[in-house]
Amino acid sequence: MARTTRLLASLAALSFVVASCGGSSSSSDTTAAASTGTQELKFTPIAEGKLTVCSDAPYEPFEFQNEDKTWTGFDMDIMTAIAQRYGLALEVTVQPFDGIWLAPKAGTCDVVASSLTITEERAANAAFSEGYFDSFQSLLVRTADKDTLNSLASLSGKTVAVQTGTTGEEYAKTNAPDAKIQSFDDAAAMFLALESKQVDAVLQDFPINAFRAIKMGTSVVSIKFDTESEKYGFAASQDNTELVKAINESLAEFRTNGVYDGIYKKYFG
Amino acid sequence: MAMSKRKKAQYRRIAVYVLSIVALLAVALVVDWGRLQSAMFQWDIVVDQFPGILTSAAKNTIIFTIFGFAGGLSFGLLFALMRLSTVRPYRWFAATYIEIFRGIPLLVTLLILGFGIPIATGWHWPNPYVQGAVPLALVASAYMAETIRAGIEAVPKGQMEAARSLGMSYSRAMISIIIPQALRIIVPPLTNEFVLLIKDTSLISVLGVTAGTRDLARFGRDGVNHTANATPLIVAGLVYLAMTVPLTQLVAWMERREKAASR
Repeated sequence: MARTTRLLASLAALSFVVASCGGSSSSSDTTAAASTGTQELKFTPIAEGKLTVCSDAPYEPFEFQNEDKTWTGFDMDIMTAIAQRYGLALEVTVQPFDGIWLAPKAGTCDVVASSLTITEERAANAAFSEGYFDSFQSLLVRTADKDTLNSLASLSGKTVAVQTGTTGEEYAKTNAPDAKIQSFDDAAAMFLALESKQVDAVLQDFPINAFRAIKMGTSVVSIKFDTESEKYGFAASQDNTELVKAINESLAEFRTNGVYDGIYKKYFG
Repeated sequence: MAMSKRKKAQYRRIAVYVLSIVALLAVALVVDWGRLQSAMFQWDIVVDQFPGILTSAAKNTIIFTIFGFAGGLSFGLLFALMRLSTVRPYRWFAATYIEIFRGIPLLVTLLILGFGIPIATGWHWPNPYVQGAVPLALVASAYMAETIRAGIEAVPKGQMEAARSLGMSYSRAMISIIIPQALRIIVPPLTNEFVLLIKDTSLISVLGVTAGTRDLARFGRDGVNHTANATPLIVAGLVYLAMTVPLTQLVAWMERREKAASR
């Protein structure tokens, strides 16, 4: 009897240890960084030696993984460059986009790199870097509808898919009040809904829609709302001023030494 | 000093009580209650959740649950009878169906049926309630079929033999004698199934929600997004408990009655 009790107790203890190591529903990958010619590290990352990045991935062409599982994309390439500049390795945790800018405050990562538009509402709870990319909203429709669903007015009575918590959702609610708006928490589900004809259009950032149109070939961007541009920013916790400074300094350097232009050309020609 | 076994047990129990009180006191003193409250239970945010959380979110959760349960029970009964049938194709079909829908996670089933079928066939779901409730009902029916089958098999074999020897057909015996007795056994586990369904509805929002079709979990998550605070989720959790606790208490009451009655 005593032996079985001891065995059960040790099994229970072991399972607690394993469970606490397992952690949350996220996946992470690391890439090694060069350790020569690096800047001085003035901020404290949550995991020593690593820059932990939260992202809602995959979200081509900004954050996605290569065949060999290394992180790439416009956002991730910039993040890798920043991490290398400070002699850190890049670690990415994936989570849904909804409320992702609150993650640094909650301590799950140092910074958010997820095609995150800078808005006042978000800036109230997170510290944004300088804008690093200009974007605007657009409509993705099935190829057959490209000439009929090409304006906000044409969406009246139609079903539009948006991703929860995005500026696209806000834009749709403000500018297409007669449309039926369906919110998805997963970008993949939105595009599936367009294919299955559950929705008639997807209102999302232009680069995402454009990339999707090229990749799938069954849909096309019918209109770009380029009169209202928005800027993407990296978000950190509000008390992590050193990290925000470091990111801004890095971005300024990349714009002058051609690193930014190189990354931009890689994805946007 | 030699202590009797009883004395030792007594002292051990006192020690456990004292340690528990010390632990509780430690938690009460160590935790920063002010910070906890501002992060998880701000009253003005709590008040803001009502009435929407009840009139819209809880209502949708209940609608999905009831349709899921009704469909699950009807098909569950059907598949349970098929599993017990003497006709081999029926048995085989029911067994396969049950394996498939119990073996695939509800989330995956929702995505396959919600999107995969329309993409593959061009047929559309008539409305979001049906789109969410049907996969839920199909999965629920797989679990309920097993519960119902176990209940039917728990009825003593003598009952069927006696019924048949009185001249009743197999179906007559099932309907009038076996199933009513089986129901007494399976009502508690079926009520548990109902409670599980209430919680499973939280996955339906993956198929896309409009402002009117948000379930309780989605409502809570959207609230977190808007207020940058965990309070809406806590409130949603409390509303879930308000729905499930009465049901689990009902199950406990039914089981107590069953114990008393069968003595």
